[in-house]
Amino acid sequence: MIPTSHSLILAAALFAIGMLGVLVRRNALVAFMCVELMLNAANLTFLAFARERGDVTGHLSAFFIIAVAAAEAAVGLAIVIAVFRARGTVNIEEIQSMKH
Amino acid sequence: MSIEQVLFYVFAVAIVASASAVVFLRNPVGSAMSLVACFFFLAGVYVLLWAHTIAALQVLVYAGAIMVLFLFVIMLLSLTDTGPLVQLTPSRAAGALAAVAVFSALIVALKKLPDVAPGWTADPSQVARFGTIQYLGEVLYTKWLFPFEAVSLLLLVAIVGAVVVAKPRI
Amino acid sequence: MNDFLPLIPAATLVVGAIVLMLSEVFLASANRGYMVIVATLTSVVAAVAAFWNAFEPARSVLQGYAVLDPFSSFMTCMVCVGTALSGLVASSFLKHRNAERGEFYALVLFAAAGMSLLALSNEFITIFINLEVLSVATYSLTAYLRRGGRPAEAGFKYFILGAFSASLLLYGAALLYGATGVTKLDELERALPLAAATQPALVYVGFGLVLAGFAFKVAAVPFHMWTPDVYEGAPTPVTALMSAGVKSAAFVSLVRVFLAMKGALPPEVPYLLFAALALVTMVAGNLLAMPQRNVKRMLAYSSIAHAGYLLLGVAALFAPAGASAKAGVLAVTPLLGGTAVAAGDVYKGLLFYLLGYTVTTVGAFGCVAAIERREDETRTNTWDLERFAGLAQRQPGWAVAMAAFMLSLAGVPPTAGFIGKLFVFSAAVDAGLIGLAVAGVLASVAGTYYYLRVVVYMFMRPSPDEATAPFRHWTMDVALVTSAVAVVALGLLPGPVAQWLSRAGMMFGHF
Repeated sequence: MIPTSHSLILAAALFAIGMLGVLVRRNALVAFMCVELMLNAANLTFLAFARERGDVTGHLSAFFIIAVAAAEAAVGLAIVIAVFRARGTVNIEEIQSMKH
Repeated sequence: MSIEQVLFYVFAVAIVASASAVVFLRNPVGSAMSLVACFFFLAGVYVLLWAHTIAALQVLVYAGAIMVLFLFVIMLLSLTDTGPLVQLTPSRAAGALAAVAVFSALIVALKKLPDVAPGWTADPSQVARFGTIQYLGEVLYTKWLFPFEAVSLLLLVAIVGAVVVAKPRI
Repeated sequence: MNDFLPLIPAATLVVGAIVLMLSEVFLASANRGYMVIVATLTSVVAAVAAFWNAFEPARSVLQGYAVLDPFSSFMTCMVCVGTALSGLVASSFLKHRNAERGEFYALVLFAAAGMSLLALSNEFITIFINLEVLSVATYSLTAYLRRGGRPAEAGFKYFILGAFSASLLLYGAALLYGATGVTKLDELERALPLAAATQPALVYVGFGLVLAGFAFKVAAVPFHMWTPDVYEGAPTPVTALMSAGVKSAAFVSLVRVFLAMKGALPPEVPYLLFAALALVTMVAGNLLAMPQRNVKRMLAYSSIAHAGYLLLGVAALFAPAGASAKAGVLAVTPLLGGTAVAAGDVYKGLLFYLLGYTVTTVGAFGCVAAIERREDETRTNTWDLERFAGLAQRQPGWAVAMAAFMLSLAGVPPTAGFIGKLFVFSAAVDAGLIGLAVAGVLASVAGTYYYLRVVVYMFMRPSPDEATAPFRHWTMDVALVTSAVAVVALGLLPGPVAQWLSRAGMMFGHF
């Protein structure tokens, strides 16, 4: 079998890549995709531990996370469309209007 | 190395590569397609972790539904990205540093994990039901009542919210 | 059947939301005046049901995924009060902009239901789902009005950072699941000490990620950067709901989660983390608010400062009972030979503070909404201090109410804010956090400057010539009068409420 720690390190890499993307990318839609990467890292972690322990809790957690991600995506994409309608761009720098 | 392990490392490399492509490709369509690929490879890893049901859901819901929504929005807005891929402002640099710091902390934490061979696999009846849709459903509808109902509320809220936000003008 | 008691308030709110949604579809008439009444009534009924629940014995319900305890029931009660008041403010605000729709109230009630469910969730995945219920509703409310680009921009910022923080929280929960094999908080509490002994690194990283996730939600420094932009850009009644409800619900959940993890770590670790977070948040929130001439943005920074005072109360919960020598402001100075902290007092303090803050902040944002004009939507000086100049001559009632809210935020007696601060700071002193409490008092004295500046502008500056009569609607007046009366009444006669809160302000498994 695959050692649990290998799956976990893969998940950590995925999480860090997603986090990097959210924090550095200028395109709002791509930043949102990177959040999905982070959620998947959490899923992978849950499943790896579930395999190690023979415990179904990890599977059900992943199940619910997928459902939540779908709900989040629906609202998030609607907001991206609203931003685009208001500004004509989804570039995070160009939509900054509020200053101190 | 068993075939399982070979597959795992192939998938792992593919996942890291496609996830990096999501972050570093300029074209949003490219990012979205890499994300679809990443989700498929992840589903492969899930199968290797004996989570067949979740793997199927991953393909159906994530790669199938969510990513189609993403692509639909990209096409609808006909997005193109011009200018530099990342502009390093101080806050972005701090963010990148934070990501690296979190990654190193995780590696330190995860490297120390003892690799215990799971003892539960000795019991064939447990192995037979682990990760099957029947067993998941049984536990889901007998024990996880509250989260299940909460998710149904969440989906309702998300529908209303998405309709309200996507309206052209209120 | 008893298991479903704690769900009654949330279920009431959801039913009310569905009724409002369907009425928008089937009763298509231009007159939507009944909607705000339905929304307010629903919140009041839910508040009464929650109050009733507060006197039930604390117990675990729904197979351990939720708890019925006075702490969460009182929290639900407060959320319902905040929701009703924000709904009234919103009615006037939206009528003026011709944007009153059933969906708006439905989303407000859905958000309140999410807050109520979050307060009683006792399992990580359930917490995550209910956090998303309230967040998804508030994201959409933030982007509800599309006048100019600001609301959509604020909605997007709120969304991306909310989703980001939720995934931090979730990944932390996954690591803790790995260390213990459970996700329910009461089981986690039992399993965590062993896990912390065998796999400390995993537990610490999980703890840190969960803390970071919550810190984003309660807007603690250094995770606060989204707050000013989102609070400024969102429609003002929604900002009121965010600063009152979302913050309280997140605080209740934070306390529940970290109390479950308390036993597994050396007592200094959670204590020092929360104490440092409280100190930085109090100081930075007040310093950033000072130069603001934009009143709405100033209130956003002030909400950060108030999160700091609340974190001071949370730190008091985690103060190690024995003497421990730590340098500087964060030191624990044991009084009376280091007695254990009376946790009940801290819960009471936190709940009273949240109650006072709820009525005050909704009132303050209500005043901001009241003088905001429709023509201003794309201008940048919409919320400038100048807009408040001479308000005492133009709208004396509003000016007096706003003055009460400002004094309460500053913590001047006789207001709810003063009593709340008194409870929290004295609980902190009892816990031995003298340095930190002094820092809190100094920070709030410094904060008086920018709150009183608003009062000075309202009462001592002449009105600008261009000032026009604002839009008036009875709902706004009801909301402002109710919150102003509540602010003063809680300040003058805190006794009965404080007694309820102390009798019932306890938490399942920790009293």
